[in-house]
Amino acid sequence: MTGRAPDRALVDDWHVVVDRSWLTFGQLYRTKLFGAALQISPDVDGRARVSLSATGAVLPSVERYGLVFASVGRPARDVLDIPEARESDRLIVTGGSIGVGVSGLRAVENFLDLGHLPFVHADILGDEAHTEVEDYDVARAEDGGILVTNCRFFQPVASPSASGGIMADYAYRVFRPFTVGLYKTNPKQPDRRDFIALFVQPVDEERCVAHSLLAYVEDGLTAAGVRAFMQLIFAQDKPILENHVPKRLPLDPRAETPIRADKSSIAYRRWLSELGVTYGAIPA
Amino acid sequence: MQQDLRALWFPVASSGDLPLRHVYQGQLLGLEFAVWRADDGAVNVWENRCLHRGVRLSIGLNLGSELKCQYHGWRYANGDASCLYIPAHPANAPARTIRNRVYRSVERYGLIWSAIEPLAEPPVIPELETAEPLALRPMPVAAPASRVVEALRSYAARLGAEAVEPAAEVPPAGAFALRASWRRDGEVEAAAFFVQPTAARACVIRGLLLGDVAEAERVATLKAHNAALTALREEAEAADAREPDAAAAVEEAKIPLSPRVTTVAGGERAASGEAIRVRVARKWRVAADVVALRLEPISGALPPPAPGAHVDLHLPNGLVRQYSLTNGPAERDAYVVAVKREPQSRGGSAAVHDAVREGDLLAVSPPHDNFRLARGGGRHVLLAGGIGVTPLLAMAKALAATGRSFELHLFARSEEHAPFADDLGGLGASVQMHTGLDPTATGDCISAILADRADDAYVYVCGPAPMIEAAVARAEQAGWPDSAVHFEHFGNAKAVDDSTAFEVALARSAITVAIPAGRTITDVLREHGVSVPTSCEQGACGTCITTVLEGKPDHQDVFLSKAERASDACMTPCISRSLTPRLVLDL
Amino acid sequence: MLILHDYELSSEAYAARLMLGFLGLAHESRPVDVYPGAANEAPAFRRLSPLGRVPVLEDGGLALWDWQAILIHLAATYDESRRWLPQDPARAGAIAQWMAVGRELEDSSGLARRHLAMFVDADLPLAQERAHRLMRQMDEHLWFQEQAGQDWLVDGPHPTLADLAPFPAVMLSEEGGVDRRDYPAIRRWSERFRRTPGFVTMSGVFPAAPLG
Repeated sequence: MTGRAPDRALVDDWHVVVDRSWLTFGQLYRTKLFGAALQISPDVDGRARVSLSATGAVLPSVERYGLVFASVGRPARDVLDIPEARESDRLIVTGGSIGVGVSGLRAVENFLDLGHLPFVHADILGDEAHTEVEDYDVARAEDGGILVTNCRFFQPVASPSASGGIMADYAYRVFRPFTVGLYKTNPKQPDRRDFIALFVQPVDEERCVAHSLLAYVEDGLTAAGVRAFMQLIFAQDKPILENHVPKRLPLDPRAETPIRADKSSIAYRRWLSELGVTYGAIPA
Repeated sequence: MQQDLRALWFPVASSGDLPLRHVYQGQLLGLEFAVWRADDGAVNVWENRCLHRGVRLSIGLNLGSELKCQYHGWRYANGDASCLYIPAHPANAPARTIRNRVYRSVERYGLIWSAIEPLAEPPVIPELETAEPLALRPMPVAAPASRVVEALRSYAARLGAEAVEPAAEVPPAGAFALRASWRRDGEVEAAAFFVQPTAARACVIRGLLLGDVAEAERVATLKAHNAALTALREEAEAADAREPDAAAAVEEAKIPLSPRVTTVAGGERAASGEAIRVRVARKWRVAADVVALRLEPISGALPPPAPGAHVDLHLPNGLVRQYSLTNGPAERDAYVVAVKREPQSRGGSAAVHDAVREGDLLAVSPPHDNFRLARGGGRHVLLAGGIGVTPLLAMAKALAATGRSFELHLFARSEEHAPFADDLGGLGASVQMHTGLDPTATGDCISAILADRADDAYVYVCGPAPMIEAAVARAEQAGWPDSAVHFEHFGNAKAVDDSTAFEVALARSAITVAIPAGRTITDVLREHGVSVPTSCEQGACGTCITTVLEGKPDHQDVFLSKAERASDACMTPCISRSLTPRLVLDL
Repeated sequence: MLILHDYELSSEAYAARLMLGFLGLAHESRPVDVYPGAANEAPAFRRLSPLGRVPVLEDGGLALWDWQAILIHLAATYDESRRWLPQDPARAGAIAQWMAVGRELEDSSGLARRHLAMFVDADLPLAQERAHRLMRQMDEHLWFQEQAGQDWLVDGPHPTLADLAPFPAVMLSEEGGVDRRDYPAIRRWSERFRRTPGFVTMSGVFPAAPLG
C-alpha cells in the first residue's frame, strides 16, 4: 500500500507500535506506522528503541501500560492518561496485539457498534432473541472526542466473570481518531465498570494492529483468562473487518446506509471529517 | 473494444456452483458478485457488498428466500434485493429504497450469464439450445482473458489431436468465446469455451463439450480436458509473468461508492417509487360483489411483495386506490388484487368493476409493506371481514408455504360473499368460514377464538372499521398485548379536523415550515422539496410513518396502535397534525 | 477426564476441539496464554510439551503434544462408529495423504495467518504461494470427487480425519491473505463439513446456513 501522507493531527501524536512484552533483547521487531517501516528492539537498559528502517533515525517513544508508543512527528500532547490503570484493585494487562487487514478507522467504528453483538458474538455478547438497539446518547466530550452513554444490551456472557445473562450497561469514549475506550458493567459489582482501551496502530491506510489494554475489577480473574476472552471476541470481529469493501472508511454520509442504531458511528465519521482526518478514510 | 466489455454478457458461474443454501463469490471486470440460488430456483447476481457497511455478502447466509448479512443480520429479498429486515430495529419495516445493486442474469446451457450494463439480450447460441453439453471443470487463470483466448486457438493440438477447422468465434457470445473442433479416433469432437474476464489480468475458462459422451467415458474425458486446460493455464501464467503485456490487460469497471443506484430495468423506477406499467391479464368474479384482477408487467420483473402488502393502483379515470395483494411466495409473475364494489364508491371501485377490461394497460406502485407478519411466532390468528381477506390470504399462503401454524377466520355475509373460496379451500383445515353473523355474534365469536393466548401468538385483523375496533377491543379484554395485535384499515372513515395551524421543523435539514389550516404536513413539505412517501393519504396504511422528536402530534389516523399513539414517538403526517405549536420530525 | 491444554486462536487446537465435538467427549479445557504471554515456552509447560506446542491432550497417563497425534488417538480410542479413522486398508493411505496435506497447509496458510495476525516470523509470499499450490490441488480433487458422487476427500459416506485435518487451515486461509474465490469446490466441501453433527465453530469460522 503506497503512502499517502498522513494528516498533521495524526503525525503529531503518539501511536502504539508494539506490546512491550513482545520485545526480546537482541532481536529486532519490525512493523510499520503510516506506511513507514520501523525497527524496534530493547536497549541494554531495557528501554524500547524505535527507529525508521530506511534512515536509522530514532523516533520519540514512551512506554506506558505495557505498551510502546512512538511518533513520526512532534507530539503536542502526552500519551493518553488512563486513570483506571492506577486503581489498585484492578487486573491491568495488555490483551495481545492482533493484526487486521482493514483501515484502523473501521476497527474503531466496529468497537463502537452494538448491532453486531448478537450476530458476530452470538451467545456471548448478544443473542438473536434480543437484537433491538435501544436509543442511547451521543455527545462531544469537553476536551475533544466523543462520549457515547446509556447503551443497554442483553448479554449471555458479558465478561470473563459472568455467570448467566445480564442487561449490560455500556459507555464509550472516543479519545483520539485511533483510540477508543469501553466502560462496561462488572457482572459481580454492578457499581463498578470494567474498562477496555483499544489503541489502533495505523500500519498503512488499509491495515492496522489492534492493541488492547484491559483493566478489569479484580475478582479471581487471571491474565490468561482475561486475554483469552478478549482475543476470542476480537478474533470473531477480524474476518468481518477484513471483508469490508472498501477497506478505508467512507466519510460521505451517503456512501453507506446508517440507521438509528448507528448514532455513534455517524458522530465518529462526522468528527473525523471536522478534524480533517483522511488517512485510512475516503473523504466526503 | 475495451469499453464494450461492460455491455457484454459473460458467464460468471456454472450451475453446479450454486448448490442448495450456498453463496458463490463471483467476479467480472474487477467487480465482485454474490451469486446465489433461492429455493424457488431463481438465480441472484448481486453486488458483493451489504448496503449497511459494505461487508461482503458472499460470506452471508443463503436462507432460501433471503440472504442474511453476517455482520448485523440484515436480510435481503430473493429477486429485487430489497432489504426486508433490520434486526436492530425489529418493529420497523425498512424503506423500500434500501435495496442492493442487482445485475441482470440468466441461466442458460449450465452457466449463469450476467453483464455490468447490458445493451442487448443475453446470447442465444443455437448449437447449445438443442445439445446437452458436458460442462468441463472451470479453470481460473492468472493471465489476461485476451491472451487466454489466443492460447485456446491451438486447443486441438494440446489434446494431441488434429484440428478439423480453425477455432472460430461463437456468435452471438462475441468477445472471449471460442469454438474448437478436432478429430480423434476418427470421430469429430467439439467444445465451446467461454472466457470470463474476472479482472485486468485474470479470467476463468468455462468450457462446454458438445456432442454426446458415454457415461463410462465421462470422468476420463473430463480428466483429459482438465489436464489440457491445466497445461494451458501454466503456460499462460508463466508467459504473462515473464512479459506482462499491458495492452492485453482488461479494463476494469468502476462503480461509484453510493449503493443506492440500481441497474435493473424497472429497478430504478421501483426504487424511486415510480409506477410500474401492467396489463390486466385476467379479470374474474371471486364473490358476489368482488372482482379480481391479474396484473402482469409490460417488461422486467415485479418487485416481490411481503405477505400483507398493498399497492397503489392508478385507474384510467385518473384516480388512485390502494388494494392488497393476494400473492403467495411462489406467485412472482403477476400481482393479483381483489376489488369490492362499494355502494358509496368515490369512483374507484365502480371504475374497476365497470370500466376496466382485460388487456387494458394500468399502472401500479411498488408494494408498500406496512401490514406484516411477525417474525417467528408460534401461532398466527388471521381474522378477515369480507374483502379484508385479501392481505390475510397472502399471509396464509406464506405461512402454509413455510410450514408455520395458522388459522384463518373469514367473516362474510354469506358463502356467495366470501371471496377466493377456492384458494381458501386449498389451504385446508386451517380456514374456517363464519357466515351471516351480526356484529354482536361476530364479537362473541372473536372472543372465543382469542380466549386461548400464548406468549408467541399474534392476531391479524382486516375488514370494515367496526369489525377491527371490535376485534382490537376483544383482544385487549382477553389479555392480548398491543404488540401482538396487528390490523389494517382499508380506509379512514373518521372525520378529519384540519383546522389547526402550527410549525414543523425537520431535524436532518435546516428547514422549518408553517402548516396552515386546511393543508396537510406532507403536502406542504412536498412543496418545499421534501418528499415523504405516501399511499392512502388518509392515515390508514402507514406508508408515511415518521419519527417525532419533539412536540405532541394530533393523531387522526387509524393505523397506529394505542401504545404508539401514547408514546408520541411517531405519527402519520399525511393526515395527522399537531397539538403543540411546534413539531420536530426526523426528516 | 480428558484435559485439553488449549489456545483460542490456534487452528491446530481447533482441530482437536472439532474432534472432541464430533465425538461428544466431555473434557476439561485449560487455556494457555500463548500470545502474547508465551506461556507455552515456560519450563513448567515444556515438561508436558517438550517442543512448546499447543494443543496438548492428557488422557489418563498419556500426554500427546502433536495435533494430528491427538486426532488419531481420539478417533482410534473413542469413535465407536469407526467413521473418522476407518479400519479398512484400502483407505488408510489416502487418509494419511490428506492428513499430510493438512499439516502442510498449517505450515503454509496457517503460518501466513499467524504472521499477519500475531507477528510470527515468516516469508509471507512464499507461505501464500505454497498454500495456493496445495489448495489448487485440493480443489481439483474435490471437483472430481463431486463428479463421482462423493462428498469427501476420501471415498465414503462420512467425513474422515482426511477432511478434519485440513479444514481449520482452509477455513482461516483468508486471514493469511490466501483467498478462496478460485476454489469453489473447496468452498462447497467446507459447507458440507460445517453441517456435520457435532460441528463447533471458532472465532473466524462461521456456521453454514441450515438446509431448512
